[in-house]
Amino acid sequence: MKQRITYLLPEGHRVNASDILVQDDSLSFADASKAAEEWRLTLGLDELPEEIQVILADCHELHLRWTSPENRSLRSPLVAGVPSGLHAFYTPRAADQHARVCDLINQLLDGPPSRCHSVTESWTRPSVLSERFAASSSYQYYHYWPLRRQLGEVFLTKACAGEGPGLAECDRVLDELGQADYIDVDFDVISHAVTLTALWSSLDASKSPLLAQRVSRPIRKTRTNDRVEVGVLHPEEATEPEKLSLGGFLTVIGDNNHPGMTLFSFPARHHPLPPSEQVTFKATFEQPIGLHPDLKINIPQQNLIPPKEQCGLHAYWTLPSGLFIDRYQLSDPLFLASNNLLKLHSLSGEQDLEAPDWVIKRWGSAALLELAAPPAMQSDAAVDDASEWTVTIPTHLRYLAADSNGTDSTSHTALKVPWPILFWACEAEEGLKMATNPFDRVNLGYDGLFGPKTMFYHISPAGGVERTVEEIKVPVLDVEKAEWVPMGTLLAVAVGFSWVCWKLIRGADGRVKEKDGKKAQ
Amino acid sequence: MSVFTTFFSQPRLVFSTAILLRLGLLLYGRWQDANGPVKYTDIDYFVFTDAARFVAQGRSPYDRATYRYTPLLAWLLLPTAWQTKGVPHHLWFDFGKALFATGDIVTGWLIMRILVRKQGMRSEQAMKYASLWLLNPMVANISTRGSSEGLLAVLVIGLLWAVLENRIALAGILLGLSVHFKIYPFIYAASIWWWLGSEDAGTTPSTDLLSRLKSFCTRDRVTLAAYSLTSFMVLNVAMYSFYGMPFIEHSYTYHFTRIDHRHNFSVYNTVLHLNSVHGDSSPFKIESFAFAPQVLLSLGALPSQLAKKDLPSTMLAQTFAFVTFNKVCTSQYFLWYMVFLPFYLPGSSMLRKPSLGITALALWVVGQAAWLQQAYGLEFLGHSTFVPGLWLASMLFFGINCWILGIIVQDIGVQPGSSASPEVSKQKKSR
Repeated sequence: MKQRITYLLPEGHRVNASDILVQDDSLSFADASKAAEEWRLTLGLDELPEEIQVILADCHELHLRWTSPENRSLRSPLVAGVPSGLHAFYTPRAADQHARVCDLINQLLDGPPSRCHSVTESWTRPSVLSERFAASSSYQYYHYWPLRRQLGEVFLTKACAGEGPGLAECDRVLDELGQADYIDVDFDVISHAVTLTALWSSLDASKSPLLAQRVSRPIRKTRTNDRVEVGVLHPEEATEPEKLSLGGFLTVIGDNNHPGMTLFSFPARHHPLPPSEQVTFKATFEQPIGLHPDLKINIPQQNLIPPKEQCGLHAYWTLPSGLFIDRYQLSDPLFLASNNLLKLHSLSGEQDLEAPDWVIKRWGSAALLELAAPPAMQSDAAVDDASEWTVTIPTHLRYLAADSNGTDSTSHTALKVPWPILFWACEAEEGLKMATNPFDRVNLGYDGLFGPKTMFYHISPAGGVERTVEEIKVPVLDVEKAEWVPMGTLLAVAVGFSWVCWKLIRGADGRVKEKDGKKAQ
Repeated sequence: MSVFTTFFSQPRLVFSTAILLRLGLLLYGRWQDANGPVKYTDIDYFVFTDAARFVAQGRSPYDRATYRYTPLLAWLLLPTAWQTKGVPHHLWFDFGKALFATGDIVTGWLIMRILVRKQGMRSEQAMKYASLWLLNPMVANISTRGSSEGLLAVLVIGLLWAVLENRIALAGILLGLSVHFKIYPFIYAASIWWWLGSEDAGTTPSTDLLSRLKSFCTRDRVTLAAYSLTSFMVLNVAMYSFYGMPFIEHSYTYHFTRIDHRHNFSVYNTVLHLNSVHGDSSPFKIESFAFAPQVLLSLGALPSQLAKKDLPSTMLAQTFAFVTFNKVCTSQYFLWYMVFLPFYLPGSSMLRKPSLGITALALWVVGQAAWLQQAYGLEFLGHSTFVPGLWLASMLFFGINCWILGIIVQDIGVQPGSSASPEVSKQKKSR
């Protein structure tokens, strides 16, 4: 078992060596409440529960990306966003070996009725836009679900159990994982180990009382053979635009008895926008929603300028099966332009334009859209601070089955839809070794849709927004009110049919009478 | 009044107006499509033209999702995929709409010919009734938006014309072709079959099985059956050999297995929606016998009782029954029966008693309006109007349609004999 804990201080703070207290088997950082924490735990296969080992035996690679619906701003270098919910990316070891990965997904989503029945039925295949990028997995799954303890419970039961557990205060850790902003789980057959990475973007106890414990608790090494490395870092001025620099102290608990100073730079795939171009976005469905919801993305126009030349503004969106994008509608240039869209670059997964939700087997679809950016403004033109750039993504609802899913009424059902994530994708210079970034994050669903030499400048959701998930109240057929429908319909058809038949007979009679009349004459 | 009389007494004027109306709509549609994000062109037309483009690229038209038609349609629209130097692409793109609109005009011309030659109507009078189709804004709108119903109308009226002209082989081919195009015209096989029966078959019942069979299978009937079945099967085999199973699936099987859960005018819609949600657990399977009243009326009772009296009006009644009792019903289906109105209306009680006719028309419109209002609440405001709103509205509309169908059926029923084509029935008697 290996642990890597990194405290990341925000811009403008510097680490003070005296705040770091190193002891034989523990470390504590006095200023932790100001920092973000990334916790990375690497477990050997034998440190995982049996059933997980069995499931991983089928995997060539498996990546889970869970993101909290709560809106907290991510901090450099960990700015890569993913729509909130649980994303899974999977490549089977052999073509026909993917029976059991759904067991894992269903264990994690132990709440809503999951759609995961089998990989071939329920998972989707992401489109391959960039042949050179070998990192994208062959199957994708997504479900919106505000995970709590499940992820930790599924992966850490063995690490937490037994005599001399590898993790201290395990039960607390599971609760704290539920408070994380995101959790990644990565496995691939080459490394033969599972890495669990959690990020708490703020350890400020006033925002989350549960995390107060985590801040005050020293980091402990419980077993001699384990490795526990702690970094306390702050951002430094980067030397090149493609690179990020961090300075601070690194300590391996048990090996070092005082923190070692460090300063390092690395090229990064994911960047925050430069402070001068800080811009955030809001997403909301236009009211009234109806059966054809339009997602409106509002961005203050003032700072919406590309961070470099040759950048495209993009949105990546995972849509639950109840909602879909019509690729044909989004192929008309005039229609795209009227919504401030440029192109639907990729749409993978469920695209049936007619089927109701109850016959859909797959989880939904993933879309990568290029958005139009406002035309470059003349330098002397006065920019209206309040003016907003609005992009509309038109979608359509399927008919949903009635269930009391979060609503009191039987006539509507709730559909939770995550916000898309927004970023500028820019061409990076040749020869950057992104993988040398110790905080590199890949397999996010959209990175595989770009070439390997792409840099992402992320636009975060607006600060005042609490949750980056929207709820649509979808009208459904109210089964309780429909009790009389079958009998009523049957009756109506019977009456209508009889009426026509009676008229047919009467018409025939009328003719007979007429004929009789004629004969009599 | 005199202006109208002059107008209708000059077919050239009427046809020019009908053509100009469509040209105007085509140009307007071109303008709206080029300038507005909301298209004039029907969604289906994009499906057709996408499919035609696939065919032009040597691919299958069924590569286009929701293409559920015969490959013939995509072939016919091949010019929409052409790129010719010097010719703006939208001219080729509009080719299909122009073709459908031409279908409208030819249909109108056939209607007029049948009215004059077979129903003995004065030309001016016939022009007035044909204008119900030719100058009908709904008809012109539907075909210039790129819906293929106009093409079907010309096939079906062509079929009627061929039968009345006693060109039975041609009628058989047209019947096979139109069923291949869109399944529903198979109902006309029944009415034409009854109409072609020998006059005395019913009046002098014979106990001899062989002679009964002989009088049942007249030469015309055999010709019709042979030509229609052959043309239908030749087309199917040819299309199957080109495109394989996707052709069968999208042109035929789809129409029998579709769930039809999305709201539409059909009286069965809510029940089908309900059953689809419940899956197999539903105890009440209305879809398994929903075809019964529809088939009994449009294939059985109506043609057998009415066809000999008035074939064109019987075809109206059949179509009206088919659409009214269908499991799916959208406003495009109304065109299927509207094309027969010029034959039925002249002798109908709805014209004899204008109050009845106006009431029928008003109720037909009100029924649709009530339904559309409920559908608007669902579709655009997100109100759950499935029950009772939409359900009651579709029941109301169904009731109105049944009432109108009753009037039509009774009107045909009281007709003394075969008024449609006196000379043909004379010919048949002399045979």
